[in-house]
Amino acid sequence: MSDTDNPAPAENRPTSSQNWPGQDRTDQLVERVQQAITDNAPLNIVGGKSKSFLGRSQTAPSLSTLEHTGVVSYEPTELVVTVRAGTTMLELTQLLAQHGQMLPFEPPVLNGGTIGGVLACGLSGPARPFAGSARDFVLGMRVINGQGKALRFGGEVMKNVAGYDAARLQVGAFGTLGVLLETSMKVLPLPEAQLTLQHELQSANTTDGIVKLMRQPLPISAAAVIGTSQFIRLSGSASAVSAAARTCGGEEVENADAFWQSIREYEHPFFSSEKALWRISVAEYVAPIELDGDWLIDWAGGQRFIKTDLEAETIYAAAAAVKGHASCYSALQMADSVALFQPMDGVMRSLQKRVRDSFDPQRLFNPGRFHPELDA
Amino acid sequence: MSSQAAETSQLTATDIASRRQRFAQALTAFLPASCILSTTEELKPYESDGLTVFKKTPLLVLLPETIEQVQAVLRWASETKVPVVARGAGTGLSGGALPHEEGILLGLAKFNQILELNTELGFARVQPGVRNLAISDAARPHGLYYAPDPSSQIACTIGGNVAENSGGVHCLKYGLTIHNVLAVTVVTIDGDLLEIGSSAMDSAGYDLLSIMNGSEGMLAVVVEVRVKLLPTPPSAKLIMAAFNSVEDAGSAVGKVIAEGIIPAGLELMDKPAMVAAEAFANCGYPTDSAALLLCELDGLEEEVTAQIKKVSSVFKACNVSELRVAESEEERLLLWKGRKSAFPAVGRLAPDYYCIDGTIPRGQLPYVLRRMEQLSAEYELPIANVFHAGDGNLHPLILFDANIPGETKRTEELGSRILLLCVEVGGTVTGEHGVGVEKINEMCVQFDEDSLVQFHAIKAAFDPDGLLNPGKAVPTLQRCAEFGAMHVHHGNIPFPNLERF
Repeated sequence: MSDTDNPAPAENRPTSSQNWPGQDRTDQLVERVQQAITDNAPLNIVGGKSKSFLGRSQTAPSLSTLEHTGVVSYEPTELVVTVRAGTTMLELTQLLAQHGQMLPFEPPVLNGGTIGGVLACGLSGPARPFAGSARDFVLGMRVINGQGKALRFGGEVMKNVAGYDAARLQVGAFGTLGVLLETSMKVLPLPEAQLTLQHELQSANTTDGIVKLMRQPLPISAAAVIGTSQFIRLSGSASAVSAAARTCGGEEVENADAFWQSIREYEHPFFSSEKALWRISVAEYVAPIELDGDWLIDWAGGQRFIKTDLEAETIYAAAAAVKGHASCYSALQMADSVALFQPMDGVMRSLQKRVRDSFDPQRLFNPGRFHPELDA
Repeated sequence: MSSQAAETSQLTATDIASRRQRFAQALTAFLPASCILSTTEELKPYESDGLTVFKKTPLLVLLPETIEQVQAVLRWASETKVPVVARGAGTGLSGGALPHEEGILLGLAKFNQILELNTELGFARVQPGVRNLAISDAARPHGLYYAPDPSSQIACTIGGNVAENSGGVHCLKYGLTIHNVLAVTVVTIDGDLLEIGSSAMDSAGYDLLSIMNGSEGMLAVVVEVRVKLLPTPPSAKLIMAAFNSVEDAGSAVGKVIAEGIIPAGLELMDKPAMVAAEAFANCGYPTDSAALLLCELDGLEEEVTAQIKKVSSVFKACNVSELRVAESEEERLLLWKGRKSAFPAVGRLAPDYYCIDGTIPRGQLPYVLRRMEQLSAEYELPIANVFHAGDGNLHPLILFDANIPGETKRTEELGSRILLLCVEVGGTVTGEHGVGVEKINEMCVQFDEDSLVQFHAIKAAFDPDGLLNPGKAVPTLQRCAEFGAMHVHHGNIPFPNLERF
């Protein structure tokens, strides 16, 4: 028995009455996966192809979600949007903004990027340490697994503890646990007021000051360090933001939206470089990592980008030494022999491999793209 | 909820007794004798959790004191193929910690230490048997707290919170357990120790923390939890608003959110619940109205003052019949008291009540309440409703008398119809109490066969022999048949001193 056997009267369904443009390509996508099962031939899942800088590029035939588009339901007062994976980030963020709302994890829009791609790659922007990550805002997901079945996990409500949270598990799995079809996400109101403060630090790349501020009840919504400049963004009611600004101190930054957007979209001048770009994810309070290169520190210190010519092994060792992990953001310029994500070993590797088995036993989805050690 | 969980053992009493003795003997190799409970009197307190209608006697109760002991026990269980049910404080309401008659119950109560309270860096490392409220109590002098606040927080443990992905009154704004747990250290069924999550904001590979939270003890045994500590909001204010129709109250909730305000707590009571709560707590609810909203706002003083003004004007525009902003902390707590005692208050109206735990899209509330009124008339059983209006979690309480022949069965049927209704409007059969054994059959309505098959495959990736908490949370396909709900007999709720809402 499925949940569709007992439909509520149309006017009572949780979907809004509005007809959103878009098209449902579930049947075609399922058919394509079933063909791949029969042929035992892997698929390269693609959307807007805006994130080829992440993970090993694929030679397998493409399975595109780009025609599987549109908002399925959006009722602003429910704070939930349900959208098909091929919907572009641009369309989605514009629609939410029209209703005074946003995806609170501030994912990158990129050039033609889709919501499916954002979730598959698990990307969150500057607000992440304060608002939460992409997976935190996922309420439900429809996916096709490696058996060619269209599954539904989670739902469209905020509080739901029925079944394993296999929807959130898909976030950041780079499509290796299934083809994302549709997602329901929690959305929140845009803040009434925002203000960014710049403060000069004694020494470069330190996050001590930010960590101290984070222990106070301040409406901080982003915190970054570039060299010796520390940037703190405050969001909330106008009165709260101005009160908090007095506590934080520093110079107000003009055109701050463009600054944060340039970090979120990897368009800040820092990101244009001949050198390889790596991301190190680490506790925000960790002291500056001693690796030779240029740094841009976001997420209050939790996400640190480095431009460097160092060997991958050196970067992975340095990340592991501070209990973090690294990943390469310049995949296209890396040799095939280089691991692009911090390699796993031991019990964790075996467990993750069995998780991959449980969704995609034939290794049809993006083999090699994510952690090749899970594909063997 | 009657027959489905009572999967009784095929073993004879003699088999059970000899096995109990044999296992107890074998386990002394890894555990001090004082950590192994095997007599009838010792086992009795563990035969159920907070859902006392289901009772089973485990072969043994083990109360290990070290992680090494937990590892040794699980390694032994894996080799001997003995089922293991982990248990925290046993306050769960869905039978998730119901023992297995042929298995051992692994009590983690002795793991009750806060290992590290790092107020500078904003986290705590705690053992799984630490009570939820104990974390906030320890952090409060430093201006910090642990956000998720399930109603049973004075007694429930953080290990159980992870297993159930517990929520609380404030989860619309501050999230569930999954949003506030940074890492868990677990022991796998093979006895391996593994850290899932880390001190960083994400980890390499798959986000296994997502499925650990809310996995109801099916995947691994949690032995340490790293939680986020947040700064305590300097100000919290409560508005009470009464309405002449549930529709008006429901639309007021939507309009508050449309204003861009996310309240810290937003609770709705229908007339029967409000009348019962007022009779119980004398908190000054206007019982002549049809629905009551309690809306709490927290944050910086400046923000809260601005929001109180806005919310008040929204309510005024929604035909509010009475509006009150709590002027003092005493008044705020008194207004909350009525809401927090709604369960025991309703419990006084009839010999028995069933508590249902579904979630619906908020906008569906008027329709769902209308349908429930019809169902209530059809089954001739009164229903009172308390509703976490912010996140759509609905707790209908069905009043009945188990001593009237056939009434329990009618109540069970009505409960099923209500849960079906929740699924029908796009909701879920459990918002916060978990599936356990109680709602295992309703899972068949909410999920199709293919999704259930995938759940079993996930389980097998962690626990190939199905030894961890067998028979809970995810139904086998053969089992997809009946439905159920929580049964409370003669006001005899488990842990009657705990707030339940």
